[in-house]
Amino acid sequence: MSTVNHIAPSEAILACQGLSKHFGGIRAFTDVGFQARRGEVTAVIGDNGAGKSTLIRCLVGVHVPDGGTIYFDGRQQPFSNPDEARKSGIETVHQNLALIDELTVAQNLFLNREIVRRIGPFALLDRKAMKDQARAMLSRLSINVPSVTQRVRRLSGGQRQAISICRAAGSGAKLVVMDEPTAALGVQETANVEALIRKLREQGVSVILISHNFDQVRRLSDQIWVMRAGKMVATVRSSETTGNELVALVTGAA
Amino acid sequence: MSLPADNAPASRQAGVHEESRPSLAALLIDPSFWADWASVVGLVGLVILFGVTSPVFLSVANMQAILLAAAILVVLSIGQTFVVATSGIDLSLAASVMLGAVILGLIHAAGLGIFAACVLAVLATSAIGLMNGLLITAGRIPDFVVTLGTLSGITGLGLILSGGEPTMVGSTFLLKLASGYLGPFGYPVWVAIAAVLVAHVALYHTRFGVHLLATGGQAESASALGIRTNRVKIAAYTISGFCAGIASILLVARIGSAEPQINTSLLLNSVAAVVLGGVSLFGGRASILGPAIGALMLTALVNGLTLLSVSAFYQPLAVGVIVVLAALIMRYQK
Amino acid sequence: MRMFNCLALGAGLLATTFAVPAHAEDAKVAAIVKGLDNPFFQTMQKGIEEQAKADGVGVNVQAAANMGDATGQADKLTAMALQDYDCYLVNPISVSNLVQALVPVAQKKKPIVNIDSTIDAEQAKAAGFAVSTYIGTDNVAAGALAGEEMLKLVPKGSKVALVAGIVGDVGSNARIKGFKQAVEGKLDVVVMVSADWDREKALTAATDILAAHPDLAGFFAANDIMALGVERAVQTSGKDVKVIGLDGIVDALKSVAAGELTATVAQYPYVVGAMGVEACKLAAKGKELPANVPAPVLLINKDNAEASLKNFPRPGGDYPDPLREMLK
Ligand SMILES: Nc1ncnc2c1ncn2[C@@H]1O[C@H](COP(=O)(O)OP(=O)(O)OP(=O)(O)O)[C@@H](O)[C@H]1O
Ligand SMILES: [Mg+2]
Repeated sequence: MSTVNHIAPSEAILACQGLSKHFGGIRAFTDVGFQARRGEVTAVIGDNGAGKSTLIRCLVGVHVPDGGTIYFDGRQQPFSNPDEARKSGIETVHQNLALIDELTVAQNLFLNREIVRRIGPFALLDRKAMKDQARAMLSRLSINVPSVTQRVRRLSGGQRQAISICRAAGSGAKLVVMDEPTAALGVQETANVEALIRKLREQGVSVILISHNFDQVRRLSDQIWVMRAGKMVATVRSSETTGNELVALVTGAA
Repeated sequence: MSLPADNAPASRQAGVHEESRPSLAALLIDPSFWADWASVVGLVGLVILFGVTSPVFLSVANMQAILLAAAILVVLSIGQTFVVATSGIDLSLAASVMLGAVILGLIHAAGLGIFAACVLAVLATSAIGLMNGLLITAGRIPDFVVTLGTLSGITGLGLILSGGEPTMVGSTFLLKLASGYLGPFGYPVWVAIAAVLVAHVALYHTRFGVHLLATGGQAESASALGIRTNRVKIAAYTISGFCAGIASILLVARIGSAEPQINTSLLLNSVAAVVLGGVSLFGGRASILGPAIGALMLTALVNGLTLLSVSAFYQPLAVGVIVVLAALIMRYQK
Repeated sequence: MRMFNCLALGAGLLATTFAVPAHAEDAKVAAIVKGLDNPFFQTMQKGIEEQAKADGVGVNVQAAANMGDATGQADKLTAMALQDYDCYLVNPISVSNLVQALVPVAQKKKPIVNIDSTIDAEQAKAAGFAVSTYIGTDNVAAGALAGEEMLKLVPKGSKVALVAGIVGDVGSNARIKGFKQAVEGKLDVVVMVSADWDREKALTAATDILAAHPDLAGFFAANDIMALGVERAVQTSGKDVKVIGLDGIVDALKSVAAGELTATVAQYPYVVGAMGVEACKLAAKGKELPANVPAPVLLINKDNAEASLKNFPRPGGDYPDPLREMLK
């Protein structure tokens, strides 16, 4: 039933083959093959617990997979940790691993990518530059927060989500991975994020999008991959599918 | 690459509101303001109280004595702060001070010179911190268990190395360090001030500081963003060990000998100072001035009670009451 | 704000409750002893306070937070050195930890009475002062007294075992040394173990020793706590092995009176503290103090245990006190 169609390696920005991951006795996914085309929006859908987030985390270096190979930009086994993934140009909006509550908005936006001034052998934070750029980044994406020096703890769920999207989108990455970016957002914020994803695509940035909203997926993506119970079961072009077909693929009723 | 600025949906007023500073009155009724400044409030309160009740308390000589007495605890609280900021705890701190002192004493007694002795003492305690960090991260053993184990281990090591005997350290350098003055402050006070400044810059003005707080706040999220949280933790414990080494030099200078005795009140007070200083024991939130002032406050408290001839039986009680009060205030911290 | 008020109020209460009112007294004495986490020093404090009351001397007794608090003890002494006391009574945690804190005292030419644990004379000299007098018990002599008693109790050539305190502890070493000197060539010391001043560790060690040496005739423990542990082991074994302790704490005196512990050598921290106050009073009167004043050590066995208990923490009978003679 699966219609996994292979593309030339040069066309894929991120791909994997035979990838497996388990946590103790729990198998998150097994023998997964997946490809995201350069310059496209690639969606991954599936029911809760299907293994989508874990797959993403393996692809961007957060988890080490048990077996299989990963390719990024034509290179094999590219990252041993998230830092390398970020340095190679992958930014990720994680589902639960988003912001540090005790840090400010600006500190979160520049976390692990802080702007420093060199003073002799020392590198000191340029806090003013980070605050200024943080303000600019937020206002470009129409994100409302009371202040960039506010601790993230006091922000609403939607504001936090918006900030972590802003961090991923605002850094000039080649590939932006978003795990349910609009899950906590209101109607207007969702529209903003969708516009942002289109914009990224127009600029040639590849996007991997995980979502439970099939309409959104069909609107935004070029290719859709379907996971069910730890397996990659199907992939379809978004233009060639219907909502009903997606429901059937996800639930296994097809 | 530019960002989607031009055609971003503009239906809602975009951007960041200008930061507004809350008014003083609003600050004064905000409990979290008092929580943040608990140690300062406490210190000022104690100074007023003891200043009124004891004529000697506010004398220059006594102020100098308090600062001198607080130096060791300030240095240790800084070390403890770095560890607590990663949501860990270093229970081996006072034992490391003991081991540092013993090593200093032995190397000095072996005739290798006082500078070599001091450097090796600091290296040894830093190595203990490094080992703590490695066991906690690579060994995946809880901080509490590791540092408790180290506490016991280095207690034994100190006894073995020293044969349980104190070693006299008659060094003019250390005597000068302990009793000399530069301007209004004794040298140990300057050491503590320098430690505060360096630690403050490290915490607030370097990438390491931000990564430290991120690691303490949400280690998993921090590591998903590429922060090497294990390295950060190891660094924090190593800093703690380094501070223990500096403290051991100040200690030997002050008492003129290296003793294989652990001063448990140094450990307890270092944690108390950290709590008084508004550092969250759950990690992620820290300052250096807070714990330093907390250490000063604890020292001033004992000094004042001594001047008032309060029985030594009541003094630990007073310290306990203050620390619990501070922890209570901390509940208001948002 | 509310918290701050509570804090200030609480501390204020503390201050007013415990501050010593300054009466017109003959002399004001500042005393600093070792950690009050040990009954030995609590008794010493009691001796200081009661003697001061009897002599009409004002006194402020301070102590380290614990036996390891060498710097804390120095800090407290430094604070008291800033105040106007006529005499400083010091029982240092180590031979050197109070040396620096005593410099300002010496500069004010106030007498320094050193009790119990000595201050290193050379370091004091280097810092520019000397203590006015030292009052303390001789641990070697106390150990020797225990050794002599053991000689009376067991036949010549018998096997005995020694239970020491923490490895390398100066007091423990001196006591053991005194005992060994007294029994040298007359008794056979088969083993010496270290039980860290701990009752349970001593019990375990003694049980093992009794198993290894079935013909053992006696134990000497370097303090009473350990002696009581050893005694329990002997009792359990059902053998007649003599056990001698050292210190003279209440539990040991009771045990001796009940015929369990064979004997103990009593030192009197109470008397050491009291004699310290007497020395201060003498100094205040301008009398020349003897450099060294031995404090009494008495052997307690079944004959005098009851009397000792009755008078505790003072000695059961009269004792020599040269300072008291000088005060007359
Ligand atoms: N760190 C972990 N430890 C143990 N089990 C885990 C861990 N992370 C994920 N799992 C398990 O792996 C399986 C897949 O989880 P995953 O989060 O990838 O699902 P998902 O498809 O993202 O679901 P959702 O749509 O709800 O986000 C689940 O059974 C989950 O319980
Ligand atoms: Mg998920």
